[in-house]
Amino acid sequence: MTTQTLSAERRVRRITFSHRLNRWDVKVSPYLYISPFFILFGLTGLFPLVYTAYVSMFDWHIIGGQGDFVGLGNFEWVLGQERFWQALGNTFSIFLLSAVPQVILAMIIAAVLDQNLRAKTFWRMGVLVPYVVAPVAVSLIFSNMFADQHGLINNTLTSIGLSPVGWHSETIPSHLAIATMVNFRWTGYNALILLAGMQAIPRDYYEAAMIDGAGRVRQFFSITIPSLRPTLIFVIITSTIGGLQIFDEPRMYDTYGEGGASSQWLTITMYIYIRAFGQSGGGQFGHAAAAAWILFLIIVVVGLINLLITRALVSSTSASKRSKS
Amino acid sequence: MSTSRRTTAAAVAGIAAFAMIATGCASTPAGDDKEITLTVATFNNFGYTDELFAEYEDANPGIKIVHNKAATSNDARTNYFTKLGAGSGLADIEAVEIDWFAELLQFSDKLYDLSSDEVDGRWLDWKSEAATDADGRLIAYGTDIGPEAICYRADLFEAAGLPSDRDEVAELLTGDWDHYYSVGEKFTANSDAAWFDGAGAIMQGVLNQEEETLESRDGEVIATTNPVVKDAYDSVLAASEGLSAGLQQWTKDWEAGFASGAFATTLCPSWFLGNIEGMSPDVTTWDIANVFPNGGGNWGGSYLTVPDQGDHKEEAKALAAWLTDPEQQLKAFVKTGNFPSQVDLQTADELLAVTRPFFNDAPSGEIFADRAVAVTVAPYKGTKYFPVMNELQNALVRADVTKNMSPAESWDQFVKDVAALG
Amino acid sequence: MTIPQRPPLTRRRRGAAAASNRPGLLGYGFLAIVILSALFPLYWSFLIGSGDSTTINRDLDWMPGGNFLKNAAAVIENDSVNFWKALLNSIIVSTVVSFSVVFFSTLAGYAFAKLKFRGGKGLLAFVIATMAVPTQLGIVPLFIAMSQWFHLGGSIWAVIIPALVTAFGVFWMTQYLSQAIPDELIEAARVDGASMIRTFWHVGLPASRPAAAMLALFTFVATWTNFFWPFIILDSTNPTLPVALSLLQANYFIDYSIVLAGVLLSTIPLLILFVIAGRQLVSGIMQGAVKG
Repeated sequence: MTTQTLSAERRVRRITFSHRLNRWDVKVSPYLYISPFFILFGLTGLFPLVYTAYVSMFDWHIIGGQGDFVGLGNFEWVLGQERFWQALGNTFSIFLLSAVPQVILAMIIAAVLDQNLRAKTFWRMGVLVPYVVAPVAVSLIFSNMFADQHGLINNTLTSIGLSPVGWHSETIPSHLAIATMVNFRWTGYNALILLAGMQAIPRDYYEAAMIDGAGRVRQFFSITIPSLRPTLIFVIITSTIGGLQIFDEPRMYDTYGEGGASSQWLTITMYIYIRAFGQSGGGQFGHAAAAAWILFLIIVVVGLINLLITRALVSSTSASKRSKS
Repeated sequence: MSTSRRTTAAAVAGIAAFAMIATGCASTPAGDDKEITLTVATFNNFGYTDELFAEYEDANPGIKIVHNKAATSNDARTNYFTKLGAGSGLADIEAVEIDWFAELLQFSDKLYDLSSDEVDGRWLDWKSEAATDADGRLIAYGTDIGPEAICYRADLFEAAGLPSDRDEVAELLTGDWDHYYSVGEKFTANSDAAWFDGAGAIMQGVLNQEEETLESRDGEVIATTNPVVKDAYDSVLAASEGLSAGLQQWTKDWEAGFASGAFATTLCPSWFLGNIEGMSPDVTTWDIANVFPNGGGNWGGSYLTVPDQGDHKEEAKALAAWLTDPEQQLKAFVKTGNFPSQVDLQTADELLAVTRPFFNDAPSGEIFADRAVAVTVAPYKGTKYFPVMNELQNALVRADVTKNMSPAESWDQFVKDVAALG
Repeated sequence: MTIPQRPPLTRRRRGAAAASNRPGLLGYGFLAIVILSALFPLYWSFLIGSGDSTTINRDLDWMPGGNFLKNAAAVIENDSVNFWKALLNSIIVSTVVSFSVVFFSTLAGYAFAKLKFRGGKGLLAFVIATMAVPTQLGIVPLFIAMSQWFHLGGSIWAVIIPALVTAFGVFWMTQYLSQAIPDELIEAARVDGASMIRTFWHVGLPASRPAAAMLALFTFVATWTNFFWPFIILDSTNPTLPVALSLLQANYFIDYSIVLAGVLLSTIPLLILFVIAGRQLVSGIMQGAVKG
């Protein structure tokens, strides 16, 4: 009896030790796995964010270095700049001109791609080609096509009898040109993401709807769009964040890189760059940091608004049906 | 599956290791080795050709020269100040333009002392004084200056019934700016082309003939209140209404205008000759007239500096001295028309004999030597000159090129922008 | 999964449904137009890039000239543009960053998706929130840190280090893994006695392949085409390809045939990668979607 109890005790003790190790493993591993991300992100993502806030409180010249403490003075200064507000307006205008048509076009393309195509992969790869062209390259190409006096677009317009458009001289045309560049690059990418979402919708729904007599269009609006809600939200949010930050395309739109003599196409990120490194009165890190933080807050607010709008616009009934099944 | 994952992991680890080794190798200074690489950064066109550098390399074995060019002085300036702030990344020799030279002089402690007996007396006093900092160190060597003449399209002149021979044109255009504009009106009455390329270029010509323009000598920005500036602005824009082709410098449309004959004349500093040739290679009717409104003016002119952050400052200094030696500068003049700032050269026979085949064999040496002598005013350019001039150019573009605003509105915008420069 | 009160969907019905899902001429026509407009700018660049400095100002001739190779050679041989160096740098940076992002994102994504731990939900929400942080926000401190504190100005490590992890990557892998790995699979491995790390290695990693491949490809492309930060911190002696492109424009701003030839040259490596890996990418999307 005692031997049995003894070995039983020993067995219990061994199990307890490895069991403890195992439980420690289970408890600690998750934190270990996410820590590389958080450590690296802390260094390269959070630290700049916090340090920018610090820099924004000082007079800080690029070569002269840290100057006097000015508190919110830089923010006041930036918010008082007409050019800043122009940049803000431009950024929103370009964003709307690009995001709205882009999402709609991407939906349509995804819907067509969702069907039973021949040579599926060819079509799907084809729409993604613009994505691999660097924005700098896209800008060099398009800014030439959109040149005011000798560009391809204006030449075509005049040859069919319309008057040429001031792509580089007027504000809205320049926004259209830049939005075209952005759409060129991102529509295919978003179409594929939406396609992935569409492919996840069970075919049964469509078949059932067809048996019920619903046409293609009706199916699209009643089944596809509601089921795509999470994907749509994702696409819209990422387009928002990206769209409010564009730099490459407007920067390379002309040789000066200042966004036009009347700041026609000056975006917020260009404004930040010019304040920090660039031409007229450049070198003021304090101002640039303040502007960067304002941009960040704007992105957060606009992102949240977009989230709410999208959730409201796209009905939630079918989505909840899907989560139940 | 796990094997292929392992091989993939190994491959990528290999690449990463290779990357570290490659970048590590790249960052060891080459100074201890036999070959030294000197980087020379210029902008636009200094007339330094590969053959010229090859000459130096042959005469100085162990030195290799790499030449980087920025498109415009603007880009060079942005790069200079950014890298100065970063503490690294500048070339061994960096070119600086007169318009932002004073701005750079504020940080003269970051530039290498280039004083030497070898270059004593090489330049006119005002050129070398401008390059000396408060401690008496010579921190830049002058390269060229920019005496202006008038370049014109002989074919367009002829078609409009004006004389096209360059001496006759010189006589025709002798006078002040109003006279220049009135000849222009006669031209445009008989031609579809415009008289000059854009208000921006003319403004440069006008302002460079005044002593105090955008800043006062005690360092204040007076651009918005100085009547000299406002008068120039008003008169240039008034003339531009009928005479300007409405083009902004260094844009695609402006370049195309040289080839397509959009305008008949342009203000021609000597360093611009190479640009014209590049922009309109197929045109054979460009010529240079030995004249300028009000006699003469200087636009531009550059220096070479050696930043203190470089690794081979003494070798760079030697190269800079060689490049700005009259012999080399003459070669640059022949190549692209950059008129030398070196005193001896300005009256030398070899210079006066130079002609320019593209411009109908115009005697460019003589012409620009005459124009250089005609320069009477050296405008004051302080630390804020460049940014303020940039805003003034923007104001002219708004009124003349894009026509977004009326001249009055554009001026108001200019006043606000200058205030915002802080 | 089943919708009540519908007739059972026999194979014949399903086949009929699939057949009627084939797009008509309109669908194919639409797609053809989309693809043509996607490819046209590249073709136009080729037209100009195979001409000379005056081609861009003349009326459009739909046939290419014969100068492309000559212009391409001018791009490659230009000392100040440093094409080969830029190509090598872009390859190194994109590869290292892709590998790093995918690995760390998969690791973290696995933890968030499949492992229950305290604060998991909150931390994940935090990660997603940080996706809103614009990259441009941090350029000032990044510039100060990289150039003045670590003296990495001009080195490609200044470009690599800030890109080693992305919030998007973690989000992407979390989404995918939460659907792709059935909890039972992990339970089974644990019951068999596998430690956490072994479970990850043998269950998590293989299952993540489609999404990981896609993330790798997207990250590679995004890093390759990144311009803003490399433009600031690198210089002409050590550029990446997009930076070299802007230098090319600076050097040849009069001759756009060379600039556009350079644009095409810089796009070709990615196009090649795209042709090789594109199928994998697309099937990755389809696979990942079906699992959902």
